[in-house]
Amino acid sequence: MNRHRTSTRDLFGRFGIYLVLIASSILMVIPFYWSVSTSLKLEQFVFASPPQWWPSPLTFQNYISVFTKIHFQTYFFNSVFVALVTTFAHVFFDTLAAYAFAKLTFPGRDKIFFFMLLGLMVPFQVNLIPLYRIMSTLSWTNTYLALIVPNLTGVFGIFLMRQYLISIPNDLLDAARIDGCGEFGVFRRVVLPLAVPGIATLIILTFMGTWNDFLWPRIVTSSEALYTLPVGLAQLQMKNTSNEAQIMAGTVLTALPMILVFLFMQRQFIEGMTAGALKE
Amino acid sequence: MRINKVLIGMLLIMSFVLGACGSGAQQPAASNEKVTITVWDYYGEATPIKPLIEGFQKENPNITVQYEALDWDTTLEKLNVVTTGGTPPDVVTTDMTWIPKFAALGGFTDLKPLSGGKLNGEAWDQAYTPGGLEAITYKDQIVAALYDFDVYALYYRADLLEQKGLQVPKTWDELKDVSLKLAEGDKYLYQWGADTFHGSQWIYENGGDLLSADNKTVVFNSPEAVAATQTYLDLLTNKSAIYWGADQGERIQGIKDGRIAMFSDGPYNMGIMKSAAPEMAGKWKVALHPYGKQPGSYLGGTGLAIPAQAKQKEAAWKFIEYAMRVENQIGVYTYAGAAPALTAALQSPEVNVADPYFGGQKPFDVFLEAMKTAKHFPYVRQWNDIDVAFSTAMEQIGLGQKPVKDALDEAAAIATDALSK
Amino acid sequence: MTVGSITGHRKRRWGKYVMPYLFIAVPLLSFIIFVFIPMLVSFWWSLNDYSGIQPPRFIGFQNYIDLFTRDKYFLQALRNTSIFVLLGMSIGPTLGLLTAILLNQKVNFQAIFRTAYYLPVMTSLVVVSTIWVMLYNQNGLFNSILHAIGIQPVRWLSNPSIALVSVAIASIWQGFGFETVIFLAALQSIPRELYEAAMIDGANGWQQFRYITVPSLRFVIAFVYIYGIIGSYQVFDQVFVMTSGGPVHSTTTLVYYLFSKFQDLRLGYASAIAYILFAILVVFSLIELRLSREK
Repeated sequence: MNRHRTSTRDLFGRFGIYLVLIASSILMVIPFYWSVSTSLKLEQFVFASPPQWWPSPLTFQNYISVFTKIHFQTYFFNSVFVALVTTFAHVFFDTLAAYAFAKLTFPGRDKIFFFMLLGLMVPFQVNLIPLYRIMSTLSWTNTYLALIVPNLTGVFGIFLMRQYLISIPNDLLDAARIDGCGEFGVFRRVVLPLAVPGIATLIILTFMGTWNDFLWPRIVTSSEALYTLPVGLAQLQMKNTSNEAQIMAGTVLTALPMILVFLFMQRQFIEGMTAGALKE
Repeated sequence: MRINKVLIGMLLIMSFVLGACGSGAQQPAASNEKVTITVWDYYGEATPIKPLIEGFQKENPNITVQYEALDWDTTLEKLNVVTTGGTPPDVVTTDMTWIPKFAALGGFTDLKPLSGGKLNGEAWDQAYTPGGLEAITYKDQIVAALYDFDVYALYYRADLLEQKGLQVPKTWDELKDVSLKLAEGDKYLYQWGADTFHGSQWIYENGGDLLSADNKTVVFNSPEAVAATQTYLDLLTNKSAIYWGADQGERIQGIKDGRIAMFSDGPYNMGIMKSAAPEMAGKWKVALHPYGKQPGSYLGGTGLAIPAQAKQKEAAWKFIEYAMRVENQIGVYTYAGAAPALTAALQSPEVNVADPYFGGQKPFDVFLEAMKTAKHFPYVRQWNDIDVAFSTAMEQIGLGQKPVKDALDEAAAIATDALSK
Repeated sequence: MTVGSITGHRKRRWGKYVMPYLFIAVPLLSFIIFVFIPMLVSFWWSLNDYSGIQPPRFIGFQNYIDLFTRDKYFLQALRNTSIFVLLGMSIGPTLGLLTAILLNQKVNFQAIFRTAYYLPVMTSLVVVSTIWVMLYNQNGLFNSILHAIGIQPVRWLSNPSIALVSVAIASIWQGFGFETVIFLAALQSIPRELYEAAMIDGANGWQQFRYITVPSLRFVIAFVYIYGIIGSYQVFDQVFVMTSGGPVHSTTTLVYYLFSKFQDLRLGYASAIAYILFAILVVFSLIELRLSREK
């Protein structure tokens, strides 16, 4: 009875909600649309007035020139390589350490963990220059080592995984130990499978962070052969002979992989992200 | 057994990581040992330096050149980072405006002893004009070999002037008049640069200066300087100039779409216009920038420098000398369209040619003329702070935030404070 | 007890701890080498006048004093950054909450809408800035739209009064989807019975929001605000790509200023700025710790 009487108001309300959602989603997507559309335009039409919503003529030459003139494939390879290696390293080292902090007892465990938590509060820029010095003392500047090694593991990842692992029932672990597994075996057989949602989140966050990282790769690399996508893109933007359409092609290529990864792993990612925040 | 696997795994990783260091170390070379020099070049696509490598390596089979193409901003950043501890290149293209900072900190190698006092057999002061030599000298050291020079002259739409029956402006009053007649709404305007390069030009043209001759006092707020800047501002208030801020985009865009009909810039811009705006061929010309009391301009350019911690200095010097040969200096023009710094190259027929893009005139006659009265920025350690203060004032003036005198006085106070440190 | 059994006992104890220490070895070592030591070095530099080329000259806290008493641009950077954070944190989470509430109304295609809000979050700030620089161009899309409805073009990035807001808008666009997702999950975990009970009691939408929604979201809101503030204070990429700190230093932020001092080879001074920023962030972190303890 109640439902029937308020149905028109409900309908109105729902219509309004959809309207707002659709309108705001469209607004959110416009910058992306505009960047793709610009990347398909000829240079002289980029700032045409009135603006061209659909490129005419539609051309792929910007993408071609981005690959032939500006070695984007090198930047792309570097981004993929660095991101993959860093992500795998993170998953391995962070989860392992998180297991130790969450489930194993050893002297100084909590003190060491708290000590490392301090690292979360340090803005990267505090360490930027001395870290660079360390790289150059080791002669690692302008090598993949400088891009990867300082990021093999991170306190945030350990913190995140620890949140997940803490809730694993100790009985499961004890059972595995009784079965004769060493600690590493327990980790491999019991802990890892249970931590999969957390690991999915860690994978995406690490991949995204590394893929989008700008400041450190910029500082630590000096030759094009080692640039990652954001660095190459920023340089493209600053060269005064580049044209906007080409730059937009560059941005599309830089953003696309992350967007694809996200769309592919959307569900696990959002589950993982929000669980982390809610457990706070 | 599992413990062992984990242990081995980690040890492997750590050893890979640690064992990879030291692979880039170079040994100081005896004269005929194989050496590699690293060259950083910010010229970009139209670089005159890259074409030199093949010939140089042929002549010097024991030297391999590792070439890195960067852009202006990146080179400055990288140079900052490596001079403070890292592996600097052996040769680097250096903007003259960077000299105050690096030279004052001993960041560049003194080329005098390294060169034995001669550049390709010539004494340094024979190879360059006095102004040019002065620009690369810091406290009696030669800190870079001037490779191309940069002075500002007036670029103008000769076709529009002809259409409207106007003469090329030579004085400020004429410039005001011509710019007003050229302007049509938001098109065909004089580009208003709010930076030290442009602001200083107007001050020099009125007999003023940025710092006193001994570099101890700030004088860019002197009455001459204020009057000069006021005249510059008048162009904006008369709506015959366009304030060129970050959201105007690139200047070359403004040239192409007609927003800009006059601007002040250096020879390097010729190359940019030819490659990015070929449709403008024949429409533009250059002339000495109109002045108040005397012609004036900042003097800058690119030098080839050897960072103080570079590892292969002798080989680096060989490369620089090679680049400074007359026939290779000519390449500065033929590749980059810029102005070679070596006097002999400047006066050569290959460089000092009639340029069809610029309506058949010889642009280098103009730039050479401008070079005679050009001044380089003061070589003091605090130059960056002074530069920032002055250009901030220019921005405030151009945006109408502050009156000329107030902005310059405020900036002068900041600059004086910086100088006192 | 014989000596042998004592040492044997100790050996067994340490043997038990080999595994945990091994597990944390790499992260701990990495932390010490790549985070902790640089922190110490950086602090030492901040107490010196150091150009990186010439030897450091100890000057105690002079850098810090100079920053607050003699450096107009630093104070402006402090102001700019705080305004940026204020803008971002007053608008971002609000938008996030609003969109989350809308999405929570059992709509179809929830995933699609969510994606539209979340895509910018996945995108690098450099990409975002590059796109928005083009949008903000004098002849770019925004001004064309304004022109079409008869409004004068806006100097998005060259008007000192507006430039910081322009940068903030781009940043908010990039970031609020993060809050949407978090709030949405939190909203979905509020038991429906609470709302149903309130409706029976005659509470209207606004009262439900005030007395059920907001209190239940207390901790998520605190989390979002503190992490947002800490992140926003470190804004750099957008300024670097879009405005280079201008015009007239109106978009110079703390990290950008730090970076520019580093460019000027004043490493000690730059490190002092970094530590002041660190101090600000520590204060906010402590606030968060306090807030999350009160249960």
